[in-house]
Amino acid sequence: MSKQEPKSEIEESNRMWASASFVGVLIIIGLPLWWKTTEVYRVALPYDKISSFSELPSIITSELTVLANDEQSASEIVGAIQKAFEGEDILKLKIKKTIISDDLHRTLESVADEQDAIEEVGAAFDLTQHNQFYVVQRRPLFQDVWLGGERVMFFRDTKAAPTLIQALKHWVYQTKVLSGARSSVADSARRTRFPPGAAYHVVLSVVHPKPDKLSVDFDAEEAVEDYIGSFVDELSVLHNFTLKSQWLYLLDFDFQAKEIKDKSEWGRHFAVRQERLHLLLTSLEERAATHVSELPTLNLALYAAPCHAAPLIIHDQRGQPVQSPVQAFMSPKWGGVVLASPGQAECQAPQPRWRPNVRVVMGTFISQLRKLLGIADTPSIPGGFLEPLRSVTPRRWEVDSLLRLRTVEQLTSAERTLQSLAQLLGEISNIVINDEVGASINSAVDSIQEASEVMSQGHLVEAYRVSLKAHTAAETAFMEPSLLALLYFPDDQKYAIYIPLFLPIMFPVILSLKNLFLWFRGKTVQKEKTE
Amino acid sequence: MTCLLLKFMVIITTVSNVLGDDFKEEIFIKPLPPTHLYSYFQFVTLVNSEKSFAHSHLSPRSLGEIISRFQVDELHLTLTEGQWRHKQWGYPVIDAAPGAELYAWFSQEVTDIDDQWRKLSATLSGLFCASLNFIDNFNTVTPQMALWPTGPVKGNTNVTSLLRYASLPREIVCTENLTPWKKLLPCESSRGFSALLNSRMIHNTNYHSIGVHVRNVCASKDCTETLLEIKQTVALVYDYKIINSYDWSFRKLFGQGLPGACPLSSASTIYVDITSNDTQPFKLTPPPDRIVLSQRGGSDTKLAVYDIKADGQMVNIGVKQDTKEKLQLTVPPPLHFNRYVLGYGKEFGGIVTDLVNNYWTAIDVVLLENAPWWLPIQLSSLRINGEAESKLVKSMFYSPGRSRQKPYHLELLIKLPPRSTTTITIDFEFVFLKWQEYPPDANHGFYIGSALISANLPTAKNYTSIPINGITYDSVINASKPWYPAVFRTNGAMVSLPTPDFSMPYNVICLACTVVALAFGPLHNICTKELVLKPVGTPVSLTQKLLNLFKRKKD
Repeated sequence: MSKQEPKSEIEESNRMWASASFVGVLIIIGLPLWWKTTEVYRVALPYDKISSFSELPSIITSELTVLANDEQSASEIVGAIQKAFEGEDILKLKIKKTIISDDLHRTLESVADEQDAIEEVGAAFDLTQHNQFYVVQRRPLFQDVWLGGERVMFFRDTKAAPTLIQALKHWVYQTKVLSGARSSVADSARRTRFPPGAAYHVVLSVVHPKPDKLSVDFDAEEAVEDYIGSFVDELSVLHNFTLKSQWLYLLDFDFQAKEIKDKSEWGRHFAVRQERLHLLLTSLEERAATHVSELPTLNLALYAAPCHAAPLIIHDQRGQPVQSPVQAFMSPKWGGVVLASPGQAECQAPQPRWRPNVRVVMGTFISQLRKLLGIADTPSIPGGFLEPLRSVTPRRWEVDSLLRLRTVEQLTSAERTLQSLAQLLGEISNIVINDEVGASINSAVDSIQEASEVMSQGHLVEAYRVSLKAHTAAETAFMEPSLLALLYFPDDQKYAIYIPLFLPIMFPVILSLKNLFLWFRGKTVQKEKTE
Repeated sequence: MTCLLLKFMVIITTVSNVLGDDFKEEIFIKPLPPTHLYSYFQFVTLVNSEKSFAHSHLSPRSLGEIISRFQVDELHLTLTEGQWRHKQWGYPVIDAAPGAELYAWFSQEVTDIDDQWRKLSATLSGLFCASLNFIDNFNTVTPQMALWPTGPVKGNTNVTSLLRYASLPREIVCTENLTPWKKLLPCESSRGFSALLNSRMIHNTNYHSIGVHVRNVCASKDCTETLLEIKQTVALVYDYKIINSYDWSFRKLFGQGLPGACPLSSASTIYVDITSNDTQPFKLTPPPDRIVLSQRGGSDTKLAVYDIKADGQMVNIGVKQDTKEKLQLTVPPPLHFNRYVLGYGKEFGGIVTDLVNNYWTAIDVVLLENAPWWLPIQLSSLRINGEAESKLVKSMFYSPGRSRQKPYHLELLIKLPPRSTTTITIDFEFVFLKWQEYPPDANHGFYIGSALISANLPTAKNYTSIPINGITYDSVINASKPWYPAVFRTNGAMVSLPTPDFSMPYNVICLACTVVALAFGPLHNICTKELVLKPVGTPVSLTQKLLNLFKRKKD
């Protein structure tokens, strides 16, 4: 081509370059810049780890030692137990078998009382370790199987094997409750017990509606410290407890009780319908100041019935009185209430004065607390004897079982929380994840992996601690208010502001792309031609 | 174990009534001639603070928990609607600033007081359903001279650094604050004097103020042991015009009679000030249990006393005026004050505080001005009676504010000459706020909090407060002292800051976008398009044909 191009061609190229620079500024620089500046801040999260939680091993290893008198019965028992626990997906038993030494054998045969026998076993083996359990043969036993408060269960002989397996499954390891903690649908135990947490407040409220008509001698502080204090001390490996008490006077609550004549000392009782009981909780909540605590609160309330409405008896749905020495009821995840009524003699005294039976009242509260904290009920097993609780302290194997339960529960809950958070992040694009939330998600993920490892190695207390950490971190991340910082600035509003600017500008620029494209192609064709 | 427990049962012989908590309720009624009536309720709970707050008996557990969690030594919270008129009404038992006012001394163990203070106010805001959570560093001051703890303090403690004070003059006080306040009482509102506090009636007053005051008091003379005093107060000023008669009774004031005392209180007493009976005779029914003459600091007060029993008997104390013609002229109290805002326009203004000393000796007062950061006051513009350098000022503390962080804080110790009016003027300038900092309904105006005036009055004239070491109201009887400490609050004020049109940002966006879009189109066309002459007879495209069709129709 000659040096002097036609003027129109120079103009044409100028125009095209102008058009290209518009495209360059607006689309190549402008659009990414706008995208970057209006982007929602999100820390990079370990999505792959979160989605692969289901592949993590969720097995708790627990040690079981079988002590039998001879080799044959030992291996028979071990074989039966192994077979029975084969199908368990959460619990894995590491069974050791040992033959009882002659000394111990002789003492076990001669000692009459089971408690003494346990002491003898305790002298030979360490019974204080968590996650350890001993199954010991003891011939002079009235039942097939005997279980007390320690980590020892006695069985008579190999014929007791089916009962022994039942007892291990339903009492000691509570495999059903354990798998209930993992399932997506809450079973009755999970609906009752408090959600996992590092610490709880326990508040005993003494409700005294008529302080002018009756004086109640009840030292709430001592009762709480002595009974509940010694109960929760045993659970200190699981949670921290703060004990509190308060008096609530003149609480006006109408039970709408119906007077019914009977043969008691009063010659009457007041029937409270079961459906009305939850209304008492509503009026208690108004006064009990449960909301000021910084931690979840387990509420215990002792309702001292006034003389004119005593004794109060709860009637069930069919209108039958509840046969129980203590009138009490429980509200899942809230607490328990004991309705105590003064006797006739106390009310008819010139100066009515009543001392509630502290042992009975506090015993009821303890049994309610056991359920609220997650200690499962023990069903009766034919041929098996479970020694009733003699003191307020929980049985040692119950604490182990609770540790296992809480570990699984916390781990499952942390995993599900993170998974649903990941899902939410996928669904809702304007959730902010700042550095703090990102750190707590990462720490939760690490703790989950660590916990499942420690758990499968059988270090139960350590696994509990790590899983609690995971649970707390996951909950903090999920509940963090900063997630919602931009939730109320949805995309349609963003577009409402930008479209008046973008539409009129982008329209000509995008239309010019066609010409530009054609021109560039034409130019290259021309160049090729010239070459 | 069973045996042990039984044995233990026998050991517990402690009676619940001997748990150490003590509850007392009192009412003090004083006519404020000619047209008003002051009634003051006080509910005092004494708690043995040596024991932990975890186990409460008569004291409210919710408050105890907050006090122990935030390690508060002394706390004063008042929620007030209306303005106390010192000049006409004399002095109240406890003065309060309009709106919400909170001040507290923290324990020495607290390391980060500011943080603890924010948490305390946020928690109290939840407890009392008040907007105390708006208390932050930018509206909190640490008074240097005006406030001192009313409880015993260990020697060599720097109490000032432990104090935080904030007031929210915009806060509106209503039933939702009264209900949680009542729940702190052991008898709640079902029995006792609190049964009179019917929200329908008490919000129908000229002035009402509810308060919670927590402090330590000495348990014995030598003060080796302390008790915690939780005092809940209500102050009401009724207007005879509102109750529609000059004769008052409980039924007229509170809508119902008093259903006896609270069965948990160790003393339930009503005091009626009948001093004005001498000049303006009236008849009190039923007759009081006794009449006490109190001579205190040169003023004589006659109190009619009723001891109320918890027998459920309805009590309806009332007064019948004998004559209605007499109009009494009230004598103003020894010290009164007034505050107002100066200036016009939206650039500069000033606050004026007039302090009047009617007494024949000089009175020392501390004046605390607390201006928010958006109202910068300049110390250079401070004038006392028009003078920049006044001999009346004995001591001064000034802490300049910082934008969005700290309020302006000025404290003056002034000697008010006898029978004089002292005028304190200070100028401020208006500040532009960021558009998100304006409160809802910004055109309503902005409140300036009350100034605090702390005085040691030489006379007990019009003075009704309880002496500092007193707990119950009977401690005012014959309580002559060399001076009478009092902390007063002046009236608040209101300014109108330059307020923008709040739809402006959106308008600007729309306008700017339109202009840019309009300008861009031609610009792009000129740069990228070429005008080409089209020779006649060239084939016409389909769109062109359509356009031509329209053009022809127009023609």
